[in-house]
Amino acid sequence: MHIEQLTLNNYRNYEGLDITFDDKINVIIGENAQGKTNLMEAIYLLAFTKSHRTSREKELIQWDKEYAKIEGRITKRNQSFPLEIIISAKGKKAKFNHLEQPRLSDYIGALNVVMFAPEDLTIVKGPPQIRRRFMDMELGQIQPTYVYHLGQYQKILKQRNAVLKQMQRNFHQDKSILEILTDQLISHAATLMEKRFVFLDLLRKWAIPIHHGISRKLEELEIAYAPTIDVTENDNKDKIESMYMNKFREVQEKEIERGTTLIGPHRDDLLFYVNGKNVQVYGSQGQQRTTALSVKLAEIELICHEVGEYPVLLLDDVLSELDDYRQSHLLSTIQGKVQTFVSTTSVEGINHETLKKAELYHVKDGKIVT
Amino acid sequence: MYYPEPISKLIDSFTKLPGIGPKTAVRLAFFVLNMKEDDVLNFAKALVSAKRELTHCSVCGNITDEDPCPICKDTSRDASIICVVQDPKDVIAMEKMKDYQGKYHVLHGAISPMDGIGPEDINVPALINRLKDEEVEELILATNPNIEGEATAMYISRLVKPSGIRTTRIAHGLPVGGDLEYADEVTLSKALEGRRDL
Repeated sequence: MHIEQLTLNNYRNYEGLDITFDDKINVIIGENAQGKTNLMEAIYLLAFTKSHRTSREKELIQWDKEYAKIEGRITKRNQSFPLEIIISAKGKKAKFNHLEQPRLSDYIGALNVVMFAPEDLTIVKGPPQIRRRFMDMELGQIQPTYVYHLGQYQKILKQRNAVLKQMQRNFHQDKSILEILTDQLISHAATLMEKRFVFLDLLRKWAIPIHHGISRKLEELEIAYAPTIDVTENDNKDKIESMYMNKFREVQEKEIERGTTLIGPHRDDLLFYVNGKNVQVYGSQGQQRTTALSVKLAEIELICHEVGEYPVLLLDDVLSELDDYRQSHLLSTIQGKVQTFVSTTSVEGINHETLKKAELYHVKDGKIVT
Repeated sequence: MYYPEPISKLIDSFTKLPGIGPKTAVRLAFFVLNMKEDDVLNFAKALVSAKRELTHCSVCGNITDEDPCPICKDTSRDASIICVVQDPKDVIAMEKMKDYQGKYHVLHGAISPMDGIGPEDINVPALINRLKDEEVEELILATNPNIEGEATAMYISRLVKPSGIRTTRIAHGLPVGGDLEYADEVTLSKALEGRRDL
């Protein structure tokens, strides 16, 4: 899968841009604040309909303009499709092959993108929501029903928290509504967990050997799921449901006291171990980076395995963050098979043969200069 | 851009209707000015009488101009089955089908704690009283297939279960006459969950 062409209108600092890309490696060079990351963000948005940097969509529209438009032409299974995202004050429209997709879950997945930005290095040491977001985004890309279950889960969670808040203030309230919402929550929670377990199995299958390779066969990576209840990844949906049932009964009083839901997939975490030690706590900077890189590279393979084609890779200002060895490992893994966009302030210091064959684009003040 | 008071009042009134913005309201108001006086009078009367003469049926809660409503009074209908719906519009939809011969109960909403709507805020207490007084054998829960509708259905079925009355939930899945290939993944997975033996 690759992007042939990108057209931007009134988007961030790009008033009008029309650009065609190489299907291998594209290097975007520019000084700071010229629009490198904006270009990466546009590609990301074309895949997810959301920005990775902001949730305020107004920021994406150029100052004093009514709307922003991102158009892309992608090649997928040897066929060419147009994609279009229009963002205006009224909302967002996503079109696939000229047809508007009223539901985002129908659109997401049209283009698969994996992004690796400096903030992704925090996937190991950052707060748990980064790792949950990682799971949710990646799973959503390969399984549209996951997006649905996640959405339902979040809605029920809001309703349930509202009931708990009400009960916190007034102890004598009827518990049946809480019990019903708990039942509903559990059913979606178990589905989400089950899907996450399958995903982790696949992630491990790729990430462990990749990590082994990057660490020059010195490190063994393990990835564990840390749930809020004592389930194991071998448990089936019924087992997970009954365990949640028991645990929810156990924590009910505490939940009413605190006025919020205390257990569930929205509080679960991922743990990374290297040679048996928790990398988040005991790992060196280098090990944390290697782990993040392994996971990202595994994601590329995973999507290829699930979708049948390699996704587009975005490397936003991240090459300079990696040492030579990791850099060349990254570049040789993707060599020739993954369309990659690299943004950097300069190509100096990146001495890899892959980059010598790359297409170069110089960005200056929202324009591509040659 | 200053309208004389009578017309600006009319414009304001139109904007209170759903789906009508300021521009449409102006257009409608000026259209009314050009209508025949008789038509305008009838229109105004229709508005007032719809509001004044329509009440909620004391039995089922549906909107009606006579109490109890024609459906509740109709003795040819099967009183042992009650279909519970969220909205009077749902009754119309069910009636269009012409296959259902039981009675109805209209809730006027669904349970949503987030919006402060509990079971007492919708027409549930009246339903429970009805089940005590009438000879009901089956309760069909036809609330909407979303989280709130589902929670409402589950709540009612829990309340009713101990009385031994059969409670059923309408099915969801593929639309009739549709092609499998056009169904979205979520509907399809629901349809798969609800499959049955042939």
